[in-house]
Amino acid sequence: MPTYILGISALYHDSAAVLLRDGEVVAAVQEERFSRLKHDPALPVRAARWCLARAGITIADVAWLVFYEKPLRKFDRILSTSVATFPKSWAAFPRHMRAWLGDKLWLRGNLCEAFGVRPDRVLFCEHHLSHAASAFFPSPHRDAAILCVDGVGEWATTSLWRGRDTAIEPVAEVRFPHSLGLYYSAITAHLGFAVNEGEFKVMGMAAYGQPRFRAEMDRLLKLDDGGFSLDLDYFAWHWHPSQAASPKLEQLLGPPRYPGTPFTPRATPEGAGEAEIAASQRYADLAATAQQQIEEAMLHLARHAKAKVGTEALCVAGGVALNSVANHRVAAEGPFANLWIQPAAGDAGGALGAALWAWHSVLGNPRGPALERADLGRDTPLDRTRELLDDLGARYEDVGDDAPERAGDDLAAGKVIGWMDGRCEWGPRALGHRSILADPRRPETRDAVNVRVKYREPFRPFAPSVVAEHADEYFDIPAASREPARFMLSTGPVRESARATLGATTHVDGTARVQVVDAGTSPRYHRVISRFGAETGVPVVLNTSFNLKGEPVVSSPVDAMASFVRSGLDLLYIDNFRVERPR
Amino acid sequence: MGVLRRMWLTVASEVSWRLPGRPQRLLAAFALAERGSMLDMLAAVEATDRRELRKKYFLHALDEGRHALVFAERVRALGQLGRAEAAIEDSGKLVEAGIVGGRTLFERLGEPEFLTFVYVAEADAVEQFRVYLDRGLPDTRTQDELRGILKEETFHVSYSRAEVDRYRKEGLPVDWWATRLRLRRLWEGWLRFSRDFGAVMSAFWLGVLYLLVMAPFRLLARLEPGGWQTPAGRPGGDPLVAARMEG
Repeated sequence: MPTYILGISALYHDSAAVLLRDGEVVAAVQEERFSRLKHDPALPVRAARWCLARAGITIADVAWLVFYEKPLRKFDRILSTSVATFPKSWAAFPRHMRAWLGDKLWLRGNLCEAFGVRPDRVLFCEHHLSHAASAFFPSPHRDAAILCVDGVGEWATTSLWRGRDTAIEPVAEVRFPHSLGLYYSAITAHLGFAVNEGEFKVMGMAAYGQPRFRAEMDRLLKLDDGGFSLDLDYFAWHWHPSQAASPKLEQLLGPPRYPGTPFTPRATPEGAGEAEIAASQRYADLAATAQQQIEEAMLHLARHAKAKVGTEALCVAGGVALNSVANHRVAAEGPFANLWIQPAAGDAGGALGAALWAWHSVLGNPRGPALERADLGRDTPLDRTRELLDDLGARYEDVGDDAPERAGDDLAAGKVIGWMDGRCEWGPRALGHRSILADPRRPETRDAVNVRVKYREPFRPFAPSVVAEHADEYFDIPAASREPARFMLSTGPVRESARATLGATTHVDGTARVQVVDAGTSPRYHRVISRFGAETGVPVVLNTSFNLKGEPVVSSPVDAMASFVRSGLDLLYIDNFRVERPR
Repeated sequence: MGVLRRMWLTVASEVSWRLPGRPQRLLAAFALAERGSMLDMLAAVEATDRRELRKKYFLHALDEGRHALVFAERVRALGQLGRAEAAIEDSGKLVEAGIVGGRTLFERLGEPEFLTFVYVAEADAVEQFRVYLDRGLPDTRTQDELRGILKEETFHVSYSRAEVDRYRKEGLPVDWWATRLRLRRLWEGWLRFSRDFGAVMSAFWLGVLYLLVMAPFRLLARLEPGGWQTPAGRPGGDPLVAARMEG
């Protein structure tokens, strides 16, 4: 009888469920893919139900349910911080206490009720230990430094660990309220984007600016003695119920950007007046400064990790590990020969880490093979999809196993296609299972996909996917970035010779967040790109997540059809079905 | 339409649309409700066994998605957004999708009652929009949009009414369901009021607690310093026992 472990992350953002069978990942999926609420924080009941169904079991067969945090330690931090910031925390205290006393403090009971498990079957793993386990145990490394950097868990906001086979030992930690993740989020909010959603936009915006605010912003974030500290006078997350920044930040950096304000820096000043261009450029420069600080901080932490732990490999996790530009710098300039980042490096990944921690560290089981693919989520049987397409009266053709080649031909013909193939990806990146694909050569494709298909901000870049055999012809990928590039977690330079060719996927600063596609782990997606390459001479496609603005990545054929009809996509592929637009 | 309900809608609409900042918040609430309805209808497309209804649910969902965009666009056009802007930009605010305890509205109600719900909700929305238009609210452009939306809502009412009539002929208690749904709305309104009132009261008493009990501890409490710290010690012994602990 195999041992099943259900890992759960929830109640902050990006809740998820992961099911292990004897330590092997059977299914891993975020709740948002079912509820259709982006970053859904609710207990992942639907995700868990799907995981169990995928394995053909019921909750009675699950030996352990592991939650990715220790709730009482988190409560301790909230209470202690409220006292330490008295009387400024007068508004935050009642709000926190209502949430905790009314609900979060009774987590074990809530988990038992929601998932139907017995109380003695519920385990709790520390937040940063969940992150560390999510980065180390699925990696190919048996001895590695582990660096976790996020907003905050219980107390730790940054932590350093050493992983050796099935054990993970703590080395050091930086504690709340000093937090790189919260710092970046505060700048994200200042730049008019939603926290936990707009951080990627700040990264994209940064490329349009120059880091000319270092003098001001170095007063906020100081790197010292291998770690960092913040000047907390400029921030409010430790005492205010909803704001990240204190009024002093606005005095230092100028007025915040209003959400939705057009962004027209000097590089793309279409139709904007001088004042608008100057304002946009200022925001771009702020973004560039914050981004440069984060990159340098990550390098600084990585060097400290090397000095303290001394291994050849570094595993990174936490929300900041999704900063692909910083990852590239750690890989290219850092002291480690190997860098490994799990595709769901943020809070969703805590579900995976918590489950693996229980399997290896608590139950003492040996390590298994490394995680090589991210298609661990939901899929739909072909007959169900055919039935749906028939019922909706869709214009479709069953192209069988030729779908990748047909898709490659369509891309070569200039079509923008929705590509839904097999199981959806684990983590925020679309890696060729729930992707919008297009020809990467034409700069106008970027505007078409941004404005006509995804309805998102025109300054945001698109990523390229390249077949592994030709990756080095187009991109400068350091050896340590090879693994992160598989999951699109590293942004590096496009080779000078390829920048003109890849006009739609080369960002304004000459970089791209490349995905290197391996025929062994992504065979059908590899065939799409190869066919496109055979037709055009460029084995690279533009790849962006298959979702519309404000919505999660599509999961089911119904989601795909709804997004297809509401967008300007030319064609939709769902597994073997090629769907045309309704007349 | 009941006289009482019309009176209520008239009074509420006058208040809602004429207070500064309220139109934006109201339209943002409509945008969220329409988006939530879209998700409910897409969940129904996935879950229904009645294949002949799938396309209707799907078209209904697309209409609701479009309405959400129209309302959100009107919010932006009216400007001075504040909280309304956050609500339409941040899909995390979406609480109207009908998922409770991991089950969608369709799964909780079952198809006949779900269709009754659709009929009641759509018919009420039509009445509500008509009152706004009769009173010339809120502005010419939004009224034009409301007229367009009304046409599509009328289709939703007609197909769901046909299904409700069919269930009625089969002897299912659709009128009781409709009454129960309306009563449930009143009950949920009461619960919302109670929750808000409870929040105010608890904020007051927790504020008192904060001032009286927490203040002395301020002298002892300090924020953590920056930089690397030594991690807190972990409990030894059986790892399973430690793993069971919440703290």
